[in-house]
Amino acid sequence: MSFVSRSGNSLVSRSILSLVSRSTVAKAALGPLAATVLLIVLNTGAIPPYQAYSVGLAAVYTILVLSVNLLAGWAGIWSIAHPAFFALGAYFAAYGSTHGWSLELVLLGATVCAAGFGAFLGAAGARFSMLYVALLTLAFTMVSLEVMGQWTAVTGGDQGIPMEKLHSALGLGTLASAGTQAQYLAVGAAGIALAVAAVARPSALRMRLVAAKSHPMAARSIGIAPEAQSALAFAVSAVFTALAGVLLALVVGFVSPDPFSLALAIALISACVLGGAGTLLGAVVGGAYLTWAPTVAESAGVAQPILQGVVLIAALLFLPGGVVLFLGRTARRLLRRPSARPAPPVEPPEESPQRVPAPSATADEVLRLEDIAVTFGGLKALEGASLSVRAGETLAVIGPNGAGKTTLLNVLSGLVGGGRVAGSAHYAGKPLLKSRATTRRRLGIGRTFQHAETFPELTVLENVLCTRRRITAHDRDRATELLDRFGLAHVADRYPAELPFGLHKRLDLARALAEEPGLLILDEPFGGLDATERTLLTRQIVRQQEHGTAVVIIDHVLDDLFAVAHRVVAFDFGRPIGEGDPGDILDDPRVRSSYLGEGGTRDELPARDGTENPAVHLDAVDHAYGGVTALREVGLTVPRGSVLGVVGANGAGKSTLGRILHGTLPPTRGRRKAAGELRTALVPEGRALFKTLSLRENLEVAAYAAGIRGAELRARLAETTQWLPPRLRERMGMPAAGLSGGEQQVLAIARALMARPDLLIVDEPALGLSPAMVDEVYARIGRLTHEGMTIVLLEQSLGRAASACHEVVVLHEGGIAVRGEPADPSFLARAEQAYFDGEDDAAVPVPQR
Amino acid sequence: MDQFLLILVSGLASGAVYGLMGLGLVIIYRATDVVNFALASLATVGLYAALALSERGLPLLLAAVAAIVTTAAVGLVAREAVIRPLAQGELLSALVMTMGVSLIAESTISTIWDDQPRLFPSLVEGSVSLGSAAVPAQSLLTIAVAAVAMALVAYLFGRTSIGTAMRAVAESADTARILGLGSQRIARIAWALGLGLAALAAFLYAPRAGLVPTVLSAPLFRAFAGIFLGGLTSMYGAVIGGLTVGVLDNLAAGYVSAGYRDTFVFSFTILVLLIRPQGLFGVRTFQRV
Repeated sequence: MSFVSRSGNSLVSRSILSLVSRSTVAKAALGPLAATVLLIVLNTGAIPPYQAYSVGLAAVYTILVLSVNLLAGWAGIWSIAHPAFFALGAYFAAYGSTHGWSLELVLLGATVCAAGFGAFLGAAGARFSMLYVALLTLAFTMVSLEVMGQWTAVTGGDQGIPMEKLHSALGLGTLASAGTQAQYLAVGAAGIALAVAAVARPSALRMRLVAAKSHPMAARSIGIAPEAQSALAFAVSAVFTALAGVLLALVVGFVSPDPFSLALAIALISACVLGGAGTLLGAVVGGAYLTWAPTVAESAGVAQPILQGVVLIAALLFLPGGVVLFLGRTARRLLRRPSARPAPPVEPPEESPQRVPAPSATADEVLRLEDIAVTFGGLKALEGASLSVRAGETLAVIGPNGAGKTTLLNVLSGLVGGGRVAGSAHYAGKPLLKSRATTRRRLGIGRTFQHAETFPELTVLENVLCTRRRITAHDRDRATELLDRFGLAHVADRYPAELPFGLHKRLDLARALAEEPGLLILDEPFGGLDATERTLLTRQIVRQQEHGTAVVIIDHVLDDLFAVAHRVVAFDFGRPIGEGDPGDILDDPRVRSSYLGEGGTRDELPARDGTENPAVHLDAVDHAYGGVTALREVGLTVPRGSVLGVVGANGAGKSTLGRILHGTLPPTRGRRKAAGELRTALVPEGRALFKTLSLRENLEVAAYAAGIRGAELRARLAETTQWLPPRLRERMGMPAAGLSGGEQQVLAIARALMARPDLLIVDEPALGLSPAMVDEVYARIGRLTHEGMTIVLLEQSLGRAASACHEVVVLHEGGIAVRGEPADPSFLARAEQAYFDGEDDAAVPVPQR
Repeated sequence: MDQFLLILVSGLASGAVYGLMGLGLVIIYRATDVVNFALASLATVGLYAALALSERGLPLLLAAVAAIVTTAAVGLVAREAVIRPLAQGELLSALVMTMGVSLIAESTISTIWDDQPRLFPSLVEGSVSLGSAAVPAQSLLTIAVAAVAMALVAYLFGRTSIGTAMRAVAESADTARILGLGSQRIARIAWALGLGLAALAAFLYAPRAGLVPTVLSAPLFRAFAGIFLGGLTSMYGAVIGGLTVGVLDNLAAGYVSAGYRDTFVFSFTILVLLIRPQGLFGVRTFQRV
């Protein structure tokens, strides 16, 4: 069973594909063709000599801009080093020509030197951020300028050196400099360079470069090593630039340091921004701009740098993406016919989900983890994790937020980052931990990401194709079939950003399955999907189970998760706490309480009489982030002087609701009404303290932000300091990073109190705290209640919320499933039910306690 | 020994200039995520304005204040006009944008005044004898003024509420927004402060170097080397990085070869960064999925 009927559609897409590759050939021929036409025109003598010289120069600059432009657009490296490579080629040619070197020796020398330096810069640059690459390449150009100026024996210093004839050692003739021959050669070379780039555009090389640039982590997961990609890209770009330098020497007939200054680096960046990084036509536009900008500026009567600056700023403000992209988009908007829109995806047939096939009892064990532990700095994210998965078996890993689930997946795909991993892991009998992330794809491990991390600058088809090093016709057919199977064939040539979230997630899964992995890792695949998409996803998983793929899956949408899983392991606080069948894992009291929390004794709360005025009221509020619905139809009133608990699993929409109640996040639809001059304060999830600031400064900033200054600020600071526990009072000058989790939570609440709020919203105050600290934090929240504060408590744990709140609402997938007062025992049973499946079933029997 | 002392003092004086400029770059970068390439040329605008005023009889000290005010004002206008319209977090676009501003500022200077080198007046003349060496008074003044300015910046950031707020925004703009801290106001203060420091550095540097429209481009690049050496986000790192670069640069010029001072400085910086990518004072961050 597939997403869409297979036969007709794939035929259509295949014919589209052959069209694409035919157009590639046509595009590749365009460069040489234009060059030939230009050569014929030049040969007729219709162009005066000075203009012919400019044309030759423009051809050289086109190659130069092409090298910088494609490096920036494809590999994401904005280089300031290219003037140095340009100079390298030019000086090689000039020095060689005056010292009897052959043409071949000059070309070989320039190529080898440029490739070596380029690979070094690329590899070193991949370790750093964009800014460090800028410094690294800036340094390269600064050093090269000094060398040009000082190494007079070779470069002639500021005077420069002449460029003589170059003889071929292979008897291919002689190249004269500064004449029509050199100009013709430059034009021809530019045509060939464009053809090479046109052929490289649809290749796996570009796709993998773009993938590594836009999402290094996801790229690693499909076997692309960003360092190698960036070294290769820089080396190739440097070689083309050095060859352009040789041509420059030939066309000009003389080499001095003048053209290779930092001004050229800035001009090159302007040319790329103007033409559009990553586009071939943009490089031609940029080359022409560099050549003729001085003439234009002169005839317009402005200084050339001013023209350049204005063009640069205007391009960034009004043409992001460059002239070529802008014109292309405008043309498409004008020419697009409505009928050319792709057909909408076919809805899946209405039928009951397939039965999950049981794995054979004798199936091979695919994955075995023994006693895995992961530490970040001093923090244990995971310990004592042992599990095994057989072929065709699906293992679900569950647990509340912070349980270590994602860390476990990252151990499997090798993306732990700065963490230290201990223990042993075997995949198909071979040790796994020593192998790098990029090699795990080849071993047969594929993974998806929680937020569907696709490559935004590649089309849907390219997102799947880039998993291959070289793309054959067979690969294209298989990729098309794969997209077809996932109902993505109709959007094969679109970009991920144009897709709704559901298709986006399908694409992530399709990419993970492109090479039929033996082990499939799914990170919250159901999150954010609607019912139809979930049914489709379940079918895809079942299909993999039939193929014998082992699957490890984590998710918070438990009902869908349990529908496909054979076995469930539960984690809490980074440790496994239970294992069982999907049907009865939640009967395990430890697992159940890890979600719901301990019941606890109900604290005394100030009495309410039902006449309290509302502090804040939400009316039919919806909220969506980038196509994902976080909240739907939420209506809620927070009465003054009450504690309202909002309970739900991770991803249910609690934090979004908290931000909307706080007033800092405007809802997509619906209204928030607050009483008069209501001061609200939010304690965000994870505390969000300023870790480098001292305790006192954390409080000070909050008061400053609330507009409090001077003596009033000092008074509040003193008052709030008294509210803190003694251990914190003694440490007011220490950085907040040194506090324990519980102390940080208390300080975060104190920080919120600095503004003297009427309504305090606390998001997951118990997250990551030891039970004793949770009690301490809750006791403090309880005392605030008695002082008359209105509080909204966002909680994962139903038990904790029930013991601390007047009223509890259960949020399930963005909607309010049930609401009531925890004092009522029948409500708690309904709330438990609703917590897991979102159903408010009043008929649930009250459990005997 | 005397020669070494002279080189050391002139190295510290250069380093003080690079450190002040680096401090300006880091303050702006931390508050607004903009690497301000236009810092040097905007400060040069301030210098030319100060020179014009002082030639019309304004006392030099007031001219220095005028340089600082002009630089900050032109910079704030440039920011409102071309940087703010960009989306938040567009590191590259913002950097390229400041390159454009820099081109225009430098060229405007050459149009209004000209490219000819001019003398820039100094607050002090002559030299001071230290032992048997005669140390230029301008170098000592540069070191002293820069030290006072850095101490004031340290006081501002360490002891005042506005400074604390600026550090808070630098650490997490998101959390600052939740607390209700207006980030635009902080951004404007940071720009004015950063550019003011650069103008001060320029005022101290120009008497030694003479005034041309591109007078500050070499110090700017060395200040860049200094802040990367110091870890890009650390203010102490910017100062110590700048001083290191200044001393190295003068040592290289004095003992190796005057022609290869940038080669020396940049090779050292890159070498340090290859070993410690986060710089001397930067913090290494963990990456998560």
